[in-house]
Amino acid sequence: MLNQSPLKYRELAAKAVQDKQLHRALAMMRDKIGRKAVNLYNQLPTGEGSRQAAKAVRRKVVDNLDVVLETLATNIRARGGHVHLAESGADAVEYCLGVAKRFQVRRVVKGKSMLSEEIHLNDALEAAGIETVETDLGEYIVQLKGEAPSHIIAPAIHYTREQVGELFAEKLGEPYTDDPPTLTAMARKTLREKMLGADMGISGGNTACAETGHVTIVSNEGNIRMATTMPRVHVVLLGIEKIAATLEDHDILLRMLTRAAAGQKISTYVSYVGGPRLDEEPDGPEEFHLVLVDNGRSRILADPDFREVLHCVRCGGCLNVCPVYMAIGGHSYGSPYCGPIGAVFTPLTQGINDCHHLCQGETLCGACKQVCPVDNDLPRMLSLLRYKLANGDARWNVRPQSLSAKLAFGAWSVLMRHRRMYDAMSLVAGFCQKLLPRKNGWISRLPGQLGGWTRGRDFPPLAKKSFARRWARRDTARRDA
Amino acid sequence: MSRIIERVRQALGVRANDGRDTLVFAKSDDFVHCAEAKATERDGWMESIRIEAKALNLRVHECPDLDACGEAIASLARERDPEWGTVKQIMRWSDPLLDGLGLEGRLGAEMAVKSVPGADSFSQSEREEFRREVIASYIGITTADYLLADTASLVLLGGRGRARSVSLVPSIHIAVVPRSRMLASYRQMLSILGAMDLPSNVSIITGPSKTADIEATLVHGAHGPREMHLFLVAS
Repeated sequence: MLNQSPLKYRELAAKAVQDKQLHRALAMMRDKIGRKAVNLYNQLPTGEGSRQAAKAVRRKVVDNLDVVLETLATNIRARGGHVHLAESGADAVEYCLGVAKRFQVRRVVKGKSMLSEEIHLNDALEAAGIETVETDLGEYIVQLKGEAPSHIIAPAIHYTREQVGELFAEKLGEPYTDDPPTLTAMARKTLREKMLGADMGISGGNTACAETGHVTIVSNEGNIRMATTMPRVHVVLLGIEKIAATLEDHDILLRMLTRAAAGQKISTYVSYVGGPRLDEEPDGPEEFHLVLVDNGRSRILADPDFREVLHCVRCGGCLNVCPVYMAIGGHSYGSPYCGPIGAVFTPLTQGINDCHHLCQGETLCGACKQVCPVDNDLPRMLSLLRYKLANGDARWNVRPQSLSAKLAFGAWSVLMRHRRMYDAMSLVAGFCQKLLPRKNGWISRLPGQLGGWTRGRDFPPLAKKSFARRWARRDTARRDA
Repeated sequence: MSRIIERVRQALGVRANDGRDTLVFAKSDDFVHCAEAKATERDGWMESIRIEAKALNLRVHECPDLDACGEAIASLARERDPEWGTVKQIMRWSDPLLDGLGLEGRLGAEMAVKSVPGADSFSQSEREEFRREVIASYIGITTADYLLADTASLVLLGGRGRARSVSLVPSIHIAVVPRSRMLASYRQMLSILGAMDLPSNVSIITGPSKTADIEATLVHGAHGPREMHLFLVAS
């Protein structure tokens, strides 16, 4: 069981900010993908309107989700596929276990799926005695290591080639090397055997097309095609919101997705999977199951303030530009969805109070909104979550987080609105600050609750003469001249 | 099923479909019409494919006819060694275009050239037999239904004689495509697919398999074919 929890945010983040190797790896993602994304969007025929075009397509689906879901289910069934709508993660897990049992599955090979992490599917499969193998190279590395992915599209980005070399030497019994092509070849060999000998393939889906009844899955490695072609049964896990209405809508969605996720015009493999193989096809799975998972999504849908977060296409693009993610990495978020998107989505699905660090840790700088292929206004939703934490919220069962913080900010607000009080307090503060310890002229420790600020940095002291006083003197000097 | 649909309706504050489906599934005229490309648009497609293919490590060979193409593929097969094991075997789609390559005649003495069995249905043992043959093949040969000029992508529709694993399991994937099957873009392909009954499987393949999961270093040959050739046939 992976010990993931948003409750450990502070502890994990404090450790990660010291991790230079992590920072180098994430800067690479920023430079290779994050910085290029917007330019790539603008090169599309839709130009600078690309993000809005993609957003419109997503909004249409989310706002008419009942119609889209029903059409998708009907069309998949017409192709001979099975559709299951799962209310909760546990429901989805139980369904997968049921299929596995019926096929007497001994080994499952998996394509990358964040949703399977969300519902803790691997643990349940392993507990049922089913060998579960991640086949995406990055996912395979973190699985061998017994860790969780740290990036939505580059799960093992936090490892160096030397660490991967040591891991493969230990776990696969291969001679040590730090050469990425050789390491990839080792994984290729091991995983080929796993994939060709598996009874069941489980994958996520990047989107699905309601009007035609198929699921769209992209990959560069080809592992997902393997996992969905060679085993006898294929199960797709898909969030209920992650659907496109039409093939036409696929155009902009797919183009934006691959640009945002990997800086690519198109992924190596884009597969449309619509049901099981036909009688005249000699290969392909004999059964196809689509599990559409709610697990808290319909609750988000019901709140117009947060509905927008369901437009997300899970490209991971916001991670690659987020200064907070760059500093603390994916593991600190304690949830499969990290970075700015995780800071909104995780609290809404796992409890806003429990996950308060996630939304309070982000800076509201707005970089995530600018790079988002569907122009998701994450900063707005982060602010709103903080507002709910400060004031409490009945709909989301949020308890006001801190009475003292509320009082302090209330007092601050009064002070800012009353000039005389403000001036008086400035004088008092100017006097009191002489009692505080200094380092190079800066205050090195603030008292009480404020001490959090100076734990990691110094605080600039108030000027000897306030701006207001200097301004007043300047006016007098002018009059005199 | 209906319980979740009900919950979604409640969340959206709607009762029934109310004709929303016509709006949700509406197609734009522009999309419907882009299925037919004008002849003048074809200029530049070839150049675009060459540029994209180079960046993808997809090798493009231009052949005047199927005979020349067959000869070129035969010599490629002779040059390459199998990645797994030592036996050379080729698996190809059952397709009239590929019949025209005459590979069985050209290579028959040196290696087995097998084609995907075409039948209305297969028994379990026949499927297993086919699976073994694909796994034993170092080269898989397919055609493609479309070739997208803007990304050098091959579009493979599934169906009789067109097994999915042939473009996936062998170490080398060779695709033989007549130039007439070029399309401008992904969008144009979607428009064409929209007008047909979509098969159970569509694979859009853009270059050989790759990964960048170790230190974001690009490596070819992750799980799919590590080498990929596109043979464009003029006539």
